[in-house]
Amino acid sequence: MAVDPDLFESMKLELRRGSLVLAVLACLRTERYGYTLRQALAADGLEMEESTLYPLLRRLESQGLLDSEWREEEKRKKRFYRLSPAGTAMLAALIDEWRGINASLDKLL
Amino acid sequence: MDMIDRYLAAVAAQLPQDQREDITAELRDLILSRFEAREEELGRPLSEDEQEEILREIGHPLVVAARYRKGPDSLVGPELFPYWLFAVKAGLLLVLAVQAIGLFIQILTDPVDAGDAISRAIHGFIGGGLTLVGVATVIAAGLEHYNVRPRWMTHWRVKDLGAFGLSDPAAWGAAAAGKPEAKAVWAPKASVGGWPGGERLFSLLVTGVFVLWWVGALHFPGLMEFPLRGADATVSGAPVWTALHGFILVYALGCMAVDLVGLARPAATRLLGAGRAALAAAGLWLTWAIFEAGHWFTLKRDGETARIAGDWSMLDLQTLRSLGDSGRELAGVAENLSIVAVWVLAMMAVGLMFQLLGGLWKLARG
Repeated sequence: MAVDPDLFESMKLELRRGSLVLAVLACLRTERYGYTLRQALAADGLEMEESTLYPLLRRLESQGLLDSEWREEEKRKKRFYRLSPAGTAMLAALIDEWRGINASLDKLL
Repeated sequence: MDMIDRYLAAVAAQLPQDQREDITAELRDLILSRFEAREEELGRPLSEDEQEEILREIGHPLVVAARYRKGPDSLVGPELFPYWLFAVKAGLLLVLAVQAIGLFIQILTDPVDAGDAISRAIHGFIGGGLTLVGVATVIAAGLEHYNVRPRWMTHWRVKDLGAFGLSDPAAWGAAAAGKPEAKAVWAPKASVGGWPGGERLFSLLVTGVFVLWWVGALHFPGLMEFPLRGADATVSGAPVWTALHGFILVYALGCMAVDLVGLARPAATRLLGAGRAALAAAGLWLTWAIFEAGHWFTLKRDGETARIAGDWSMLDLQTLRSLGDSGRELAGVAENLSIVAVWVLAMMAVGLMFQLLGGLWKLARG
């Protein structure tokens, strides 16, 4: 039976939504600014809209999981983000959780 | 001002002042990075249309700014939505029932103007319904904004869920038809222990609608007028309602307070018993004061007036049997309504006495 493309798209988005925070935190083990972060995520197959990514970065920073700094690069001021110590600990905890979910799902799938 | 400035100004206008500069600076860098990447890809500068296309991809300024907003993204979020939907559905059915009863009475008193009465009822339902939806949305938005979750939402009990069938029109239809399955849901159970939370919720809703109407915040167009023999008859309150306006408002707010306590602390039996007993005593005093006034409403039509009034002497079965014998002229309608009013007040007094005894019993036994 054919898969309903609209329903699939909506379920796929739901499935991905929870994993985006983990992907962003993991990507920011290396310091990046918003644009290069988005490119890095896209290169690994995780496309993310700017209107989602940039507010997410601010939220994670306000939660103390990221540090940020304005610096000039290529003749323009850019805001660079990197994991804070609290973010590193949170990432480790989330990775454990993610692997646990994966292992459970692998048994079912 | 170039295209980027205009776009960023539109975003900035939606942002809190202390964050505007920081957020728009970061967005400017994003936009310029996107422009540069596209120019590199095409090997030439971008046209205005191409630049605008990229801005559209980034998002409408209102949407982009909204993503930065702290707090809820919606007036009524997914957690509160089911409660909002129930309140709206049950409230709309209640408004519909009020209008249907009013329409029924109007058609009985003057069948000739049935079309006009139906039109007024529809108008009243739409007006009342829209106000109800607005009030429910404002309350839900307040709870959402301040992240308040009343205790009855988080600590609900299965025995309190009965009245949630109120939002099901099929249940109302079955109840109206007196079907056994409806009776099984609505009829009082012998083993009821305390007032169920669902009843309190319903009571709170109904009293809330009454308070809004009483203070003039909610209007039911056509409620105080009805067609009679081809002309509009109006109902105006007697001076007793002005004299008791504040007391009735305080009484209704007291009822809401007791319902709220019942929802928040269902186990506080003694406190609730004391509250209900005090309210019943106040209600008895109000009923007595209204009865003693002897004049409750005045009907007016084409310069003619008739009083809806009565006294203790009308509380006999002979008077009750004469209900409907007075004809359909203004004076006859007023006479019939006077008998109805006397008996309604008497039944209210009996009900309040039982409530007083029940409250005192709970206060004593806990």
